[in-house]
Amino acid sequence: MPFSITIPRLGWSMEEGTFVRWLKKDGDVVRPGDAVFELEGEKAAQDIEAVDSGILRIPHDAPKPGTVVAVGAVIGFLVGDGEAVPNSINANTSTSASIPKSDAPSASAIVQSLPSRLAEGHEAPAAAPSVRRLARERGVSLSALEGSGPSGRIMAEDVRTTAKGKTMPPQAHSAQVASPRARRVAKELGIDWRRLHGTGRGGRVRERDVRAAKPQLNQLSGLTVVPVSSRRRTIANRMISSREQTASVTLMTQIDATNLVGLRTQFKQAANGSNIPSYSDIIMKLVSLALRQHPLLAARSEGDQWMIPSMSDGLHIGLAVDTEGGLVVPVVRDVGSTGLFELANQTVKLIEKSRAGTLVVSEMQGGVFTISNLGSFGIDAFTPIINLPETAVLGLGRIRREPVVVDDKIVARDQLTLSLTFDHRIVDGAPAARFLQTVSQAIENPSAWLLRSDG
Amino acid sequence: MTNHDIAKTCLGLYRKMQVIRQTEEELARCHQRGLIHGACHTYVGEEAIASSVCSHLRTEDVVFSTHRGHGHALAKGLPPKELMAELFGRQTGCSRGRGGSMHLFSPEVGMMGTSGIVGPCILQACGGGYSFKLMKTDNVAVAFFGDGAVNNGAFHEGLNMASIWKLPVLFVCENNQFATEVPFAYSAGNPSVGSRGVAYGMPGLTVDGNDALELHRVAGEAVARARAGGGPTLIECVTYRTRAHAEGMGDFTYRTREDVEEWKKRCPIQRLRTTAIEQGIVTAAELDSVDGEIKGLVEEARKFAESSPWPEAVSATQFAYSEDPVSSKVPIQNLRPAAGREITMTQATHEALSEEMGKNPGIFVMGEGIGQRGGNFKTTAGLFDIYGPTRLCDTPICERGFVGLACGAGMTGTRPVIDFMFADFVLDSVGEIVNQIAKIQYMSSGRLKMPVLLRGCIGIGHSAATHHSGNYYAMYAQIPGLTVVVPSSPYDAKGLFKRALNSNDPVIFLEHREILSVKGPVPETEYEIEFGKAAIVRPGQDVTVVALARMVHLTLSVCDELEKEGISVELVDPRTVLPLDIETILQSVKKTGRLLVVDEGFAPCGFAVDVAAQVADRGFNDLDAPIKRINGAFTPTPYSPPLEQAVVPQAETISKAIRELMRE
Repeated sequence: MPFSITIPRLGWSMEEGTFVRWLKKDGDVVRPGDAVFELEGEKAAQDIEAVDSGILRIPHDAPKPGTVVAVGAVIGFLVGDGEAVPNSINANTSTSASIPKSDAPSASAIVQSLPSRLAEGHEAPAAAPSVRRLARERGVSLSALEGSGPSGRIMAEDVRTTAKGKTMPPQAHSAQVASPRARRVAKELGIDWRRLHGTGRGGRVRERDVRAAKPQLNQLSGLTVVPVSSRRRTIANRMISSREQTASVTLMTQIDATNLVGLRTQFKQAANGSNIPSYSDIIMKLVSLALRQHPLLAARSEGDQWMIPSMSDGLHIGLAVDTEGGLVVPVVRDVGSTGLFELANQTVKLIEKSRAGTLVVSEMQGGVFTISNLGSFGIDAFTPIINLPETAVLGLGRIRREPVVVDDKIVARDQLTLSLTFDHRIVDGAPAARFLQTVSQAIENPSAWLLRSDG
Repeated sequence: MTNHDIAKTCLGLYRKMQVIRQTEEELARCHQRGLIHGACHTYVGEEAIASSVCSHLRTEDVVFSTHRGHGHALAKGLPPKELMAELFGRQTGCSRGRGGSMHLFSPEVGMMGTSGIVGPCILQACGGGYSFKLMKTDNVAVAFFGDGAVNNGAFHEGLNMASIWKLPVLFVCENNQFATEVPFAYSAGNPSVGSRGVAYGMPGLTVDGNDALELHRVAGEAVARARAGGGPTLIECVTYRTRAHAEGMGDFTYRTREDVEEWKKRCPIQRLRTTAIEQGIVTAAELDSVDGEIKGLVEEARKFAESSPWPEAVSATQFAYSEDPVSSKVPIQNLRPAAGREITMTQATHEALSEEMGKNPGIFVMGEGIGQRGGNFKTTAGLFDIYGPTRLCDTPICERGFVGLACGAGMTGTRPVIDFMFADFVLDSVGEIVNQIAKIQYMSSGRLKMPVLLRGCIGIGHSAATHHSGNYYAMYAQIPGLTVVVPSSPYDAKGLFKRALNSNDPVIFLEHREILSVKGPVPETEYEIEFGKAAIVRPGQDVTVVALARMVHLTLSVCDELEKEGISVELVDPRTVLPLDIETILQSVKKTGRLLVVDEGFAPCGFAVDVAAQVADRGFNDLDAPIKRINGAFTPTPYSPPLEQAVVPQAETISKAIRELMRE
């Protein structure tokens, strides 16, 4: 087995050196301690002594004088008498050990990743800290600016010029600061600290300022503050707006749902693995048909105007969903033109997303009507609140088998109470009642209505 | 000696030398091939010394060595495969990949460590000798060192201590004529090392370091003298290393190729071989057979090293502290009592020391004036009469010397308590604390313990001026391996002192001189306080103050007044700077929202900075105001009272800062 002649490390941190020249010729006999070649390291050139003995063999691809070579690289061989001569420095793999790489990125890897990102053009433009602050205050993005200063540095004037063109809402309390603790407490109590007067140094809002802003309720014995989530706050605001901005009236009627129950039973039998349309789904579809006859109930108040959607388009109808975080109303698209089973798929997905909190804003917008079902809680009738900017909302109660008089006989029938809340500003009582009547008829004879709609 | 014995000795020496030579040459090859990751200092040319000396040693005898220590480790019994694996950086290495060429540890065979620092091995060998003396064994300790060490303070201090206490130590100087590249002929006023023995009152000899048989004879006499209680011996072995200082380093800028070639001809192995064959002691065939056997052994060692696993990166910090930190059964009582028998802090630590010395015969105290005199601060009063001069050992004024000795003693089974008097004095020995005491457990991968307690006074007051007043806790708290205790009350002082006397980790115990005579309740029953458990000295609502030592008392003095103004202060005393009980501080800040750190020490990179940074990081959302710090002025301590007062935090400074903080 030939001995490899390798490039040694001269000094602690040397990774490569310059091969200066051979001090022995190919074919020379080398003994341990003989100087074999000259290598230039970090400090100076040095004669490298052999640690083994043998006949020196310098392959054709050995480094030429002046070549930079890595520590550990093989540059030649010492072979025994009659031993085969490797014809390439790559003939034997180097014995140098590889150090295992840790899974975590090393510090140098992290450092290196930074310049490469800069090279890709994500470099933040040069600007003084004061200019950056100004840009933040004025809502100006520095990366969009051409700097007029030395080396393209962005100057305060550049920011001001751009800011003039923008219509930024003025920041009411841009100088206001709060301690980290005050911010935390404000968040817990659902208080906007920016509205508060700070009593700390330089007007800093402190914890005491936040607590002072809170009604003294929490200091009464036995009461604890309920943390208010932003979802809850949104719901609260929307409910109050609806109450304040609409003239709502609720109509209630009890109808016969025996055919509806029968139809759903048929759907169940025919489902074949797909989602079975729920009562809400079927009624939503029927409501969309009824709305075609009573378009005013689908009006949306946009600013000062009331807009009636085109009935040829599929109508979008909201479905109130109860979630851990509170009420949400995802909107089912094109209810009028969507088949029932497809509709069922849509609502199942939307309900799942509602409960998972993954609804996007667009999935809660664009509705012309809302359906709210409290039947599963054993509620018969209630007064739903209109989901602004819509005109009406239909509340569904429970379906319950009750004795009713049919042809002077008492028979068991499935009964359902409908609760329609409408905005009397837009619709009068009679047309609203007529709409409810249409809905009732549709629910009482769902098959016929559905078949007719498909035509 | 019978002929058989002579042959056995010759073969034994030859074998040891060949193991060293062949291992070193293989290591040189491996270094050239990039298999060794750091430095590699070979022992080629000097094999006779380690081999001869160690052939007289038992496993329980201990060896302390230098950066050129492969030969000492192998001669003391370290298997070549463990040495190679260590240099290859593998888990199976003798230091589990934590040491490398210059930090070889194998306490199992009495190899107590090689060191990258020149000198400490001399002091540590004195410590080993002191342990053996205290435990009344006939073991010996050996320090191997080069000519570069003999002009270092450690040599003078170590030889003197060994001489005055008649320690069973061999000081073996391997004079290879160059301290790295500086010729000994240039650097020594007295070029004869052996002749220096007489200067310290011990036998000193100069021997041909390449004559294994002569060395064997001389070392045998010295070891026998040491075992018999005759004290230390200095042996200068004149030799030469025939490879470069470290592998890969240039060799002919400070010596000539001819010199090296000349010395290669004086190879100690060849010399023993020739002599032994010529005198008919052994045959060439017997020696050849040894050569062949060792070739196989070394080959096997390299394969073992190459195929051994790398240590796991997650274990990189393991062994910085003992895995088994405390060995006591005394109940833990971290909470301070409100009332009870009152004694001073000095009385409290004295009581702790006295109780533990009574239980543990391995505890000994070293320091200036701590013997018959009982200590400058009465830290050991009366103990000399009970335990005698070996356990209450007065020292010459050589802090580096006796701290280095403590390191060696701690490694060899005793428990030194070093009493510095003033912590300023110990700065001469910081290298021994930082480079040796703090790191030995780690470098030995936890196989050595370091139960060393270093105590001394800190603190500004009473015009002590700058050499008797430093606060050094922050400095030590930067060193992994140390525990830094800064008590403020007699109760804490006793509980923590007892803890320290049962700790397997080294402890720096810093007592503020201005509060030594402050009295406080201390129960008469035994107890310990854990390290890293803060005390809430005074509970409060509005602002958290973290303070140590005297600053605790100063802060406490303004709390009542502030309470009247409606400011309720919670005062937290961490008691140990390292480990720091940041959790208790965070809990307090969670309650109060405000933090002031009062630190008599300097501000830059200090104690207050660390507390502030950790709270800013982990307690950010609890902060209702910026974190404030009060530090001692960044200046040496002045003497004149008005100047002195100006550099220490005052009570008014603290109360003012608290009021300011409430207005933030």
